[in-house]
Amino acid sequence: MSLLDYFRSSKPSSASLAKERLQILVAHERVSRNQPSYIPKLQQELLTVIQKYVNVGQDAISINYEQDDNQEMLELNITLPDESEQNN
Amino acid sequence: MARIIVVTSGKGGVGKTTTSAAIAMGLAKKGHKTAVIDFDVGLRNLDLIMGCERRVIYDLINVINGEASLRQALIKDKRCNQLFILPASQTRDKDALTKEGIGKILEELAKDFKYIVCDSPAGIERGANLAMYFADDAFVVTNPEIASVRDSDRMLGILASKSRRSENDEEAIKEYLLLTRYSPKRVKIGEMLSVEDVQDILSLHLLGVIPESKSVLNASNSGTPVILNEESNAGQAYADVVARYLGEDKPHRFIDEEKKGLFRKIFGSK
Amino acid sequence: MSTDTETPTYTKSALEFKSTSFSVPILIIFNAELVQLEHQIEQKIAQAPEFFKNSPIFIDLQTCNHQQQKVDLSALIKCLQNKKLFPIGICGGNKQQNKLALKLNIPSHTIRENSATTIDASLKLNTIDIEKSDKNSSSEITPSVENMLITQPIRSGQRVYAKGDLTILSHVSAGAEVMAEGNIHVYGTLRGRALAGVQGNIDSRIFCSKLHAELVSIDGHYKINGEIDKEISSNPAQIYLQDQKLIIKNL
Repeated sequence: MSLLDYFRSSKPSSASLAKERLQILVAHERVSRNQPSYIPKLQQELLTVIQKYVNVGQDAISINYEQDDNQEMLELNITLPDESEQNN
Repeated sequence: MARIIVVTSGKGGVGKTTTSAAIAMGLAKKGHKTAVIDFDVGLRNLDLIMGCERRVIYDLINVINGEASLRQALIKDKRCNQLFILPASQTRDKDALTKEGIGKILEELAKDFKYIVCDSPAGIERGANLAMYFADDAFVVTNPEIASVRDSDRMLGILASKSRRSENDEEAIKEYLLLTRYSPKRVKIGEMLSVEDVQDILSLHLLGVIPESKSVLNASNSGTPVILNEESNAGQAYADVVARYLGEDKPHRFIDEEKKGLFRKIFGSK
Repeated sequence: MSTDTETPTYTKSALEFKSTSFSVPILIIFNAELVQLEHQIEQKIAQAPEFFKNSPIFIDLQTCNHQQQKVDLSALIKCLQNKKLFPIGICGGNKQQNKLALKLNIPSHTIRENSATTIDASLKLNTIDIEKSDKNSSSEITPSVENMLITQPIRSGQRVYAKGDLTILSHVSAGAEVMAEGNIHVYGTLRGRALAGVQGNIDSRIFCSKLHAELVSIDGHYKINGEIDKEISSNPAQIYLQDQKLIIKNL
């Protein structure tokens, strides 16, 4: 322990920063671990279908899977491009 | 021509990922376009050490399976625009890795990048074998400790026989030794194998000695490759390693115990 | 109680694996014509029925395969067995033949290196030739000249086999194994295992600059780590056989 450390106690330690990062990460990974395994494929196939009709980018679709005690919810979000962009 | 570097060791926990992150950042900071790939499928950590864990959308396996393009999966580093990270998948297992898939990815990367750093998982299974298969250079990360030295030796044997270069009868992979977590103090009192001891066993070109340092843990905690901490011994040691790899003549440091001045003795050092 | 000098328990074991070599007639096949083969084998046996009776025999398919002739191996083996000959192995066979031999409980070997010397042009006229080996002459074990030179360290987990002398300019790591039918020279530290004279050459020796071996062996006579004198370790040493005893001495 260095003497100088007494004067910089207000600065967040790197350990607490690590803990914070881990909390976010682990929570996120737990969620995705419980997801059905077909989701990435579903996302890909939906995108292919939509791209047949609308000019959208690879990240136009987001899928969220949520699970409550008695129900599972699949949330699908498609971002369509602006009308002007589409006509270009 | 791109150079493919594998960072390997056989044994776990010796500092492969820390080293991969540091040298990739070091090469990129010298102006070379560099990609660093995590081969530890199922147990990815490179993203954490690089501090980009929240920006991972697609991964290596997605690219192999054609679910995403290489461009989509590569994460551009926020601190250095010459550095890109390709994370491993956390949810799949290592069987998803294929030699053809990796070969295609490396071939594509080679068109655009100067250096490709492959962060090998521990062990001698598929991930580790594929990480080294296409390599031009191997950084063998070793701790001055008996199990690590033996495993490194074993890994060197595998490098000599199970690589693309050996199968095609090309010039062998260039092997370099990186001695990490070195404590001159413990070497001095006879608790730890010395650089000479390890060199005696492995007979390998020494690229650098990275001293045991608090800054390494601090760096991982905050997701900053330790090489960016220019004040720390470990950061400087990695900078030397990169310079030596690029052909600069740098004398070895951090092998002998450093004499502390009176002021630093009182106030401690970083 | 002097437990230190007690012989280790493994000497009391009921068996011991050793390497040795003895002469076996080798049947070199030049032609895939089974009828012709059978006829000529009969002729040869008639010349010396006692010699061939119940004799083990080794089948060399190398020449035949070189000429792209496919011999029916299972029929050939059956034919030999009918004539009271016991095939104990094949060599020079292709993948398929090796697989088939294994199915018939007959081991397959890689190419027999000295067979090349017996194939000369005149023999090609005879479609078959049976090499009779003189059982008394130990000189039949033809000393091969395929020496091997290695400049790289031999790493843990690696194995090297030389048909003749083996010279290693670097070290041999712990956990590595080097074997030679002749002598072994290690110009670095020997930390792994070294086995010289593995095909029965009792005159072969092991030389090394530093001896920290896990095991050294000549013609099956071995010593392990603990039995090697510590004082010898750090100086150049040689290992040889004298009256069936393994001698380790500084050079």
